[in-house]
Amino acid sequence: MSSARDHLLEQYSARVYKNRKDHVVTKGEKDPDVVTANTRTIPGIITQRGCCFAGCKGVVLGPIKDAAIIVHGPIGCAYYSWGTRRHKAVADERDGEQADSYLEYCFSTDMQEPDIVFGGEKKLKQAITEAMSIFNPTAIFICSTCPVGLIGDDIHAVARWAEEEYSIKCIGFSCEGYKGVSQSAGHHIANNQIIKYIIGTGDRAPKKKFSVNILGEYNIGGDGWEVEKLLKRCGIEVVSVFTGGGSYRDMKNSHLADLNLVQCHRSINYVADMMYTKYGMDWLKVNFIGIESSVEALRNIAKYFNDAELTARIEDVISDEIANVFDEVQYLKSKLKGKTAALYVGGSRSHHYQTLLKDFGISTVLAGYEFAHRDDYEGREVIPDIKMDADSKNIESITVEKDPKYYKVLLSDEQKEALKEKGVNLNYYEGMFKEMDEGSIICDDLNHFETEEFLHILKPDIFFSGIKDKFVAQKGGFLSRQLHSYDYSGPYSTFSGAVRFGQDILMGLSTPAWGLIRAPWKQIPNLEGSLGGEE
Amino acid sequence: MSKTKIEPMVNLNTNPCKMCMPLGSVTAFYGIKNCMSILHGSQGCSTYIRRHMATHYNEPVDIASSSLTEQGTVFGGETNLLKGLKNLIEIYHPEVIGVSTTCLAETIGEDLPRMIGKFYAENPEYKNIEIIPVKSPGYGGTQYEGYFSAIFGVISSVSMQTEANDCINVITAPLTPADTRFLKEAFEMFGLKIILLPDVSDNLDGGYKEEYDKLPSGGTSLKDIKKMAGAKATIELCGIEIKDSPGKYLENHYGVPYYRINMPVGLRDTDIFYDLLSKLSEIDVPEEITIQRGRYLDAMIDAHKYNGEGRAVIFGEPDYVASTVRLCVENGVMPLVVATGSVCNDLKGLLKDEIDEIAKKYFIDRYEILQDVDFKTIEALAKELHANLLIGSSDGRRMEESLGIPLVRRGFPIHDRVGGQRLRMLGYEGSLDYMEDIANALLSKKEADFRENIHQQYYKKELQEDKMKELIEDKTKNHPCFNGCASNTARMHLAVAPRCNIQCNYCVRKFDCPNESRPGVTSKILTPIEALEKYKMVKKEMSNLSVVGIAGPGDALANFEETKKTLELIREFDPDVTFCLSTNGLMLPQYANELIRLGVSHVTVTMNAVDINIGAKIYKYIDYNGVKFEGVSAAAILLANQLSGLRILVAAGIICKVNIVTLKGINDKHIPKVVETVKEIGCYITNIMPFIQVKGSVFENLEPVSNKEVNEIRNLCGETMKQMYHCRQCRADAIGTLDNDRSLEFSECKGNCGSKKIEEGNSYTFAVASKSGMLVDTHFGHVAELYIYEYKDGDVCYKEKREIQKYCTGEENCGDEADKIDNIIKAIGECDGVITMRIGEAPKQKLNKKNVKVFVTYDRIDTAVKAAAEQMGNGQED
Repeated sequence: MSSARDHLLEQYSARVYKNRKDHVVTKGEKDPDVVTANTRTIPGIITQRGCCFAGCKGVVLGPIKDAAIIVHGPIGCAYYSWGTRRHKAVADERDGEQADSYLEYCFSTDMQEPDIVFGGEKKLKQAITEAMSIFNPTAIFICSTCPVGLIGDDIHAVARWAEEEYSIKCIGFSCEGYKGVSQSAGHHIANNQIIKYIIGTGDRAPKKKFSVNILGEYNIGGDGWEVEKLLKRCGIEVVSVFTGGGSYRDMKNSHLADLNLVQCHRSINYVADMMYTKYGMDWLKVNFIGIESSVEALRNIAKYFNDAELTARIEDVISDEIANVFDEVQYLKSKLKGKTAALYVGGSRSHHYQTLLKDFGISTVLAGYEFAHRDDYEGREVIPDIKMDADSKNIESITVEKDPKYYKVLLSDEQKEALKEKGVNLNYYEGMFKEMDEGSIICDDLNHFETEEFLHILKPDIFFSGIKDKFVAQKGGFLSRQLHSYDYSGPYSTFSGAVRFGQDILMGLSTPAWGLIRAPWKQIPNLEGSLGGEE
Repeated sequence: MSKTKIEPMVNLNTNPCKMCMPLGSVTAFYGIKNCMSILHGSQGCSTYIRRHMATHYNEPVDIASSSLTEQGTVFGGETNLLKGLKNLIEIYHPEVIGVSTTCLAETIGEDLPRMIGKFYAENPEYKNIEIIPVKSPGYGGTQYEGYFSAIFGVISSVSMQTEANDCINVITAPLTPADTRFLKEAFEMFGLKIILLPDVSDNLDGGYKEEYDKLPSGGTSLKDIKKMAGAKATIELCGIEIKDSPGKYLENHYGVPYYRINMPVGLRDTDIFYDLLSKLSEIDVPEEITIQRGRYLDAMIDAHKYNGEGRAVIFGEPDYVASTVRLCVENGVMPLVVATGSVCNDLKGLLKDEIDEIAKKYFIDRYEILQDVDFKTIEALAKELHANLLIGSSDGRRMEESLGIPLVRRGFPIHDRVGGQRLRMLGYEGSLDYMEDIANALLSKKEADFRENIHQQYYKKELQEDKMKELIEDKTKNHPCFNGCASNTARMHLAVAPRCNIQCNYCVRKFDCPNESRPGVTSKILTPIEALEKYKMVKKEMSNLSVVGIAGPGDALANFEETKKTLELIREFDPDVTFCLSTNGLMLPQYANELIRLGVSHVTVTMNAVDINIGAKIYKYIDYNGVKFEGVSAAAILLANQLSGLRILVAAGIICKVNIVTLKGINDKHIPKVVETVKEIGCYITNIMPFIQVKGSVFENLEPVSNKEVNEIRNLCGETMKQMYHCRQCRADAIGTLDNDRSLEFSECKGNCGSKKIEEGNSYTFAVASKSGMLVDTHFGHVAELYIYEYKDGDVCYKEKREIQKYCTGEENCGDEADKIDNIIKAIGECDGVITMRIGEAPKQKLNKKNVKVFVTYDRIDTAVKAAAEQMGNGQED
């Protein structure tokens, strides 16, 4: 397999080679495996990465249903982030408190040339006034696009003004697209403001004995709803979800939960980390994509709470869920076993889906992240060794202190140590590397060129990616499924989602078109007779 | 046109109806052969635009980025752009590179031409690669302006060859790949060589290839672009005059003759297009095109009746909107809201006259042409002006959902359907497709709900349909005459209608009409006020009284004034009461709507035949509006009125029952046909009844049918529709539940009197064995129920009915004979005598032992009772 890596890299000029060689790794070649990640994108190479705005507004804030997000800038960024991700949400009521949904709306200050020249703060204020008069939301988020930071509009001052003027929650997010090296910067900026201004501002205590927050679950195609449903079956209260189907209403009470479950490590680990410091809340890395991994997640939760009744209930739920899907999974596995996959998604899915693929006997030959950091590949133990480059240093890094009112410790250090021995490693993520097969390829920031090249070299049966690289694969005869938006399908999480995923893959692989590719007049003619030396 | 009442938000764009300039710019570059685009700015711009275009075209969309970082915003983006160009060239080897700016680059004031110059200077080996700078800040306009900005950039920066050639330059507004292919073929038909800029036909709608081309291999070649300065002419297919027109530039700089015509959308603009092609080529328009024109015209005529109802909201890019409006207008679709998200001052002037004209024809006094507008405003107007159709990109899907009106998808983007890149609107055939999509959208909506709408509009104007339907269903459930199971609900028949307008051969007018009521005792006629008083009084006594019926003794509609007044009075007193009415149907068409208005929910029509020759045997005459008709003409008029009356009622949701009297040898074989007919009309139930012999009637000697025979007919017809098995052939003044007629308790009550107790003493009570309730016609051992009659001072009064054994309806179903006789004797109880047709010796002995006298006779009940009482008085007995 190492030849695949070499074959690719040798096509680059010396300059590009020098940059890219450390982003492409063959598992097991070095000990330990080291990858370069979260560095600047090479200009002119067609990257699949997005920008800071996309990470902040598009990923983390976008799904928060009851906040009206006003994009401060020219129209494009607001338009392109309007309903493009399939994060679902419905307006609802909880304990008499309503959470509306603005997900179908796109709000922008639609800046024009004069606004760029003379400043857009006034327009932003008026836009907030108009939004209040029509929609009267409980929270307004302001997200900046590129020009705003350059012309010096102070969106945070406007946010403070709006909070006073309308007695609402109004937060500014300086997530100009040029910040950082990818979406990842945007996640960080969003997380910082959420910790500063949202978490800890509510006082609705959980009602049940055991309660959690689900962090880094964006409810694509309804994934988050499935997870919530599963936890509720086990008798665990979900205080809030960050942020799929979630709400400002619930997020402000999240510090009162017992435990944080972290699904997507990359986009939300800042929040988990800071809540640990500030409120003493432990976090547990979970993965509800895949059957085995869902079982593991549930059992780890049981071990954390260490309650006989809860444990029994969780075991009941597990055996019930497995019984429901067992036959179907066996059938799908019989059809899918031995297939190979390449995955190139965002910052956690490339890892999560490998476990689901394994449930069906599909092996992963290539995996890569768009915007991950080294810890997402190698595990959190490398964090102290990560060298911050200039771009990352520019992203504000906030420090939090123990909250005198809400700080609580559920487990002592000894108990945590005991848990670790049982295989439950709190406040830790092991990364993607450890689970991958020897010889498989890991490629950070896989660009358009590399995608085509690797597909031809590795010839996977399925390529999981996004819409931008999907058609490159399909033109080349490779089945491609989108793992950002699920191609209108989903949910893929938990037990029933795993079956749906398997069905979708089988349906894709057995699409009749794949068998009709060659026209009859292009078939290789059957030569009569035999060539010398052959039978 | 009046000014819109809706205040558009001036500072908050809610749901934008536009995209940004760079998207248009890269779209144009996708129409150039071996060309790559690079956006100078943050990498998110490329990513978002690629994502957006790929979803529409279902094609790979490769756009590079200079990936500016924060450092670049401080020190300028030159280093990144130069590096980016170099990397792009090394990996993709393009011939042409379009460099478009973004918000970021323009805000920090990047000087593209200078940087490109520096790039050439530093990399002389790449001097043959055409690098084209385009100013496209996101705040400078929409994708529409970005698109033309790129074309202008191409024409103004490529070094041209001025030698004359025989090509024609064709520059178009944004088109789908399918429409682009059409254009190329159209020019070819006239033998015209064209340089089409841009040509997205292959690059954005490519086929399956095992080897994916990294570079877009279709499109206009650089070689051809260079020849544009020497072309014979430039045709700009663009309804809107562009500020920096590429065609005008070519005219001003190189003297290339310039034509600007609308895109060939719709009949008129396609005519102009082919006419121009014919002139330029000096070739007559080929016959094939004339045939296509004829086909489109024919389709326009075929679809006009649907299109004429179209009230459209049209939104999108200015050119697209202008062409669509013209196509709509020529097809009779009225554009109510014409909207573009771009700033386009010319749009109103271009379209106003055209729309005014159609608006005038349709008497529409308000429509809107709007620019720089968002979907929030468009949606509010669509609602206010009652649009029934949306035409535009899939961004209108949210309006489609919230307004519940169909969206015809055209333009960019189409994200919620496949095939957006292959949608056509150009030429006669493209126009035909487009027009028919519009007509079909209207038609599918119409087909789905026109019956409902017409129904609402013409028949149910005053009823709130759903509520009413539910109410009627509920009432039917509790109506004893329509649902036998509702036996706990009491009904009351009010005898307010003495006159009848037909003469049935089985009826003698001195008794109540046997259609619905049992003859035998003539009920007292009430005035409407008396009827109300009686209702009030009975209601006080019987809380389960929920149904009031008008059932004679004549025909309810032959006494319409009384019927109407009675219903109005009772409705006023008790708004919840269910009204039913029974009629022969002669006057039904005249009064049906009035009945609906009065809130009658259940109507019974007696229809003995649907064949006028059979009808002529049953009806002696009819009295229709004062004229007497006999024979076949009488039957024909009656039948026609019955049917049309029922149709009106059924359409209004009234529950209709049809009573059929079984007349042996006359209509008994015809009954299934009657049932089928009324089923088709939509009646709810039929009630097939046995014929009752009435002395003095024409049919007095007609052989009666047995219950068994009637049940056989009912069972047969039960396969067609619901049958009533529980009919008791009630009296016109029946009161109570079906199993417990209490009318005699209230029979003396006229107006406000209380209930009067029947005095006992010097009076006799008789148990009568009767099947029909009219005659003493049953063997004592066969009775299912006994009719209890009272004789007092020469008057015969019906008292009650006593069931012998609930499920014993005839000998074939009955068990032990001896038990049965005991049961009958028990039921007789305190009666002074028994009147029966025949009686066995054993029961007679038993009755005599109990001191119950037995009278054997075959006669009308009241005659028999009188005779028995006289014998009792005289001490005689049988």
